[in-house]
Amino acid sequence: MNTPVRTARARTSRLRRISGTASVHAVLLGYTLIAVFPVFLVMMNSFKDRRGIFGEPLSLPHAGTFSLEGYATVLSEGSFATYFGNSLIVTVASLFLILFLGAAAAHALAEYRFRFNALLKIYMIVGIMVPIRLGTVAILKLMVDLNLVNTLLALILVYTAQGLPVAVFILTEFMRTLSRDIKDCARIDGLSEYRIFLEVVLPLIRPVLATVAVFSMIPIWNDLWFPLILASSDATKTVTLGVQQFIGQFTVNWGAVLAALSIAILPVLGLYALFSRQLIAGITSGAVKG
Amino acid sequence: MTQTATDSAAPAALRRRRKRAGRLHIVVFLAPAVLIYTIFSVYPLAESLRLSLYDGLEDGSAVWIGLGNYATLLFDPDWARQFWNAFSNNLVLFFVHMVVQNPLGLLLAALLSLAPRFGGAYRTLIFVPTLLSVVIVGFIWELILSPLWGVAETLLGAVGLAGLYQPWLGLESSALVTVSLISVWQYVGIPMMLIYAALIAIPDELIDAARVDGLSGFAIFWKVKLPLILPTLGIVAILTYIGNFTASFDLIYSIQGALGAPNFSTDVMGTLLFRTFFGQQLQLGDVHMGATVASMLFFIILVGVTIYLALVQRRLQRYEM
Amino acid sequence: MSDLTLRNVIKSYGSTKVIHGVDLQVRDGEFVVFVGPSGCGKSTLLRMIAGLESITGGEVAIGGEIVNDISPADRGIAMVFQSYALYPHKDVYGNMAFALRHAGVDKAEIDARVQRAADILGLRDLLHRRPKELSGGQRQRVAIGRAIVRDPKIFLFDEPLSNLDAALRVQMRVEILRLHQRLKTTMIYVTHDQVEAMTLADRIVVLHGGRIAQVGTPLELYHHPDSIFVAGFIGSPKMNFLEAALTGWSQEGAHVQVPSLGEIVVPVSRQGGSERETGARLGIRPEHVQLADPATAAMRGEVLVVERLGGETYLHLDVGAADPFVVKTDGAVSARSGEHVGLAFPPHALHLFSASGAAFPHRERHRTLAEPQGA
Repeated sequence: MNTPVRTARARTSRLRRISGTASVHAVLLGYTLIAVFPVFLVMMNSFKDRRGIFGEPLSLPHAGTFSLEGYATVLSEGSFATYFGNSLIVTVASLFLILFLGAAAAHALAEYRFRFNALLKIYMIVGIMVPIRLGTVAILKLMVDLNLVNTLLALILVYTAQGLPVAVFILTEFMRTLSRDIKDCARIDGLSEYRIFLEVVLPLIRPVLATVAVFSMIPIWNDLWFPLILASSDATKTVTLGVQQFIGQFTVNWGAVLAALSIAILPVLGLYALFSRQLIAGITSGAVKG
Repeated sequence: MTQTATDSAAPAALRRRRKRAGRLHIVVFLAPAVLIYTIFSVYPLAESLRLSLYDGLEDGSAVWIGLGNYATLLFDPDWARQFWNAFSNNLVLFFVHMVVQNPLGLLLAALLSLAPRFGGAYRTLIFVPTLLSVVIVGFIWELILSPLWGVAETLLGAVGLAGLYQPWLGLESSALVTVSLISVWQYVGIPMMLIYAALIAIPDELIDAARVDGLSGFAIFWKVKLPLILPTLGIVAILTYIGNFTASFDLIYSIQGALGAPNFSTDVMGTLLFRTFFGQQLQLGDVHMGATVASMLFFIILVGVTIYLALVQRRLQRYEM
Repeated sequence: MSDLTLRNVIKSYGSTKVIHGVDLQVRDGEFVVFVGPSGCGKSTLLRMIAGLESITGGEVAIGGEIVNDISPADRGIAMVFQSYALYPHKDVYGNMAFALRHAGVDKAEIDARVQRAADILGLRDLLHRRPKELSGGQRQRVAIGRAIVRDPKIFLFDEPLSNLDAALRVQMRVEILRLHQRLKTTMIYVTHDQVEAMTLADRIVVLHGGRIAQVGTPLELYHHPDSIFVAGFIGSPKMNFLEAALTGWSQEGAHVQVPSLGEIVVPVSRQGGSERETGARLGIRPEHVQLADPATAAMRGEVLVVERLGGETYLHLDVGAADPFVVKTDGAVSARSGEHVGLAFPPHALHLFSASGAAFPHRERHRTLAEPQGA
């Protein structure tokens, strides 16, 4: 019997594997730094005084430079509590409508055979390709006619219309994969079609609803266009618009600008920390493979 | 359906009241979504197309002028200059995304799909900028690139390139490309995720088979994986195209204002639409011209989507996996 | 009374007819299996009985009442699905109690019924688990338990065992049989697996292309198939068919000429066959063929493949026909591929089919069928 030996061939291929792994990490780590550093830089400097911001922008705040004066200015000058409240109301209400109405429509499209089913589905999802902003001129006219300008309801309705196509598309695709048996079983158990939707289908699609929620939430929370056009009054400003206008006024007060940016970033990062697993699982589950 | 005399008993009559309900529930499920979508998305779009065919009179009424507004937009020297400038700026923006953002996304996705250690952490962190509001991203970079703060210069100095520093956002020659790169920085997470999803959907057996067939890691990517994810690359391209024409407004409005400073060098269709509709400085807002710009945008996107559907998607065969 | 009557039942989707007028009478307490290849309409028929598919034409009656327009929940049926269809967000108890709660049955009664079903099925210790924490066999049991608590007039089973592995399938098959013996409720069971059909059914309904091909006890179908389709579908391995020419009739039966076999007499009667018909097919089940001395045997074949299952052996032979001829024989047989073997057929085990596929009836009933069937 020959004793197996580690040949030169085996050694080089092992070396190649290790250096390959190292370069993969070098690229990924390098780009991760590029992606995160600017955000980190802003948040770090928001805790410094003016001298610290300009004198040593790249070092962490320390006793000599630490200051919350930026945050003090933001809290006294801007009505960020109101803006947050507005953003929260608009985002939550829109999300609820998108998910609930979208799921109901998707359920009807996936579950029942009726005339124009296919046509209606195309009608609903064509909105994915056509950005709602192109209708802004008429949306503003419509809101003026409906007396909804400078109300949060205007934003909620527009964002719902904007979010429905993607929601209907993803949910219909997913609902088609649901077992027909379980709905039939509920029918035999005597549930009405409404209760089948509420008590059987909705619990089954919860994970996908979460994905659609995170997806739809980002553009709503971050939007500048519609708040600027439909609801720019002080009482209805959202965070994004509020930050934009606040910074416009306080361009010379860097501490305040950095603090305002950080205040706008933090909740998003917090939510992301909570839901990133769901968001990424949703994206990678093929729900958006088109 | 026929009923015979056999089921005349009272319980049967009771039961018949609980017969299969009509088809009303289908309408109940569909109506709210269809109505909101129609009223606030489809109707406004159609109305914008209609408004673009009218011109406003001083007394507030409107008169039908056919394609007159489009002729103005395309051939009136003042309008045409702005339109073509914005349009070509959008094309530059699109080009930068196609040659920088999407290849970068592909590279990152390919590396992540090798399942390196900490892959999840890299993926999560690289996606962070995508979540932030464009407004915030714009300001972050405005601050970093500002000559006042000097962070960019310091950082370049650290690698011995301080001499390269310019106030890029303020220079007519570099402002547009700089804005594009900021947008790339923000959105590279999206192509990365989509491509990553497509890559990990390729069955392991297929990769194992290629490895047994003697293909190197690079050859596997090039000859096996890439052909299989072509449909996803097609989707990424069309999403880039659409986003480029509409979403670019937020970033440019935040950093450079509605005039696409400096000197319209970053003016895009979105800012042009906003300016036309609401007016800016000496220019008065014009609903009908605004609708015309929006409609032009609609046609431009329609052309892109049509090309995608007709050519790209038909060619890019989807393989059953 | 929980008998079931189908009268000229028709189903079409648009202009496509999938069920072509089915008539069937199922007696109270009977276990009837619908079997057929995929697409034969067996599941559609079951779903029409359940009320999940509308009935295009004809009547379905349960216990003497026409149920065409009655909702599934009010038909007095319970159904067990292929995918189990358990509500994933409810535990085992919740799944079993769901229909009763919905119907407003009082708590104590629900609890009593669930506990009884759990006892019957050995689910006592699992009542508070979620479906995802259960094995395939346990899920199937919960699905059956959910049907039991409804105390239905008729149980409907839609391929309930096809998601289970082979060993579990055999075990659950026995459990379902014991359940039927215990509850004595009418059961309708759909499967594509003829072994399940043979072992479970009081009577089998073979469906083919949306029509009933034959109804009968398992042994009736096995020994006296009405058509070449039923003959080929029931029994495993599949029946062998040989091209044959009908040359004449006599007291003993049909005289047929088979290329590799010469002229033989098949003890069947002429009933239904036309005067001038000459094309025919001879059928013989693999287990009815006997090996014989090649020198004197009626037919010879060359062994192509030997499949050894241990207790038995399948020989695939080339007898000059288009398809291999299969013989099921003793596990200890010494045949090797390439060898020539002789074959013999007991005349009563031969089947003869006309060119159109209809069987010529045997002159005598098979002896196992002479005794009275069922109870």
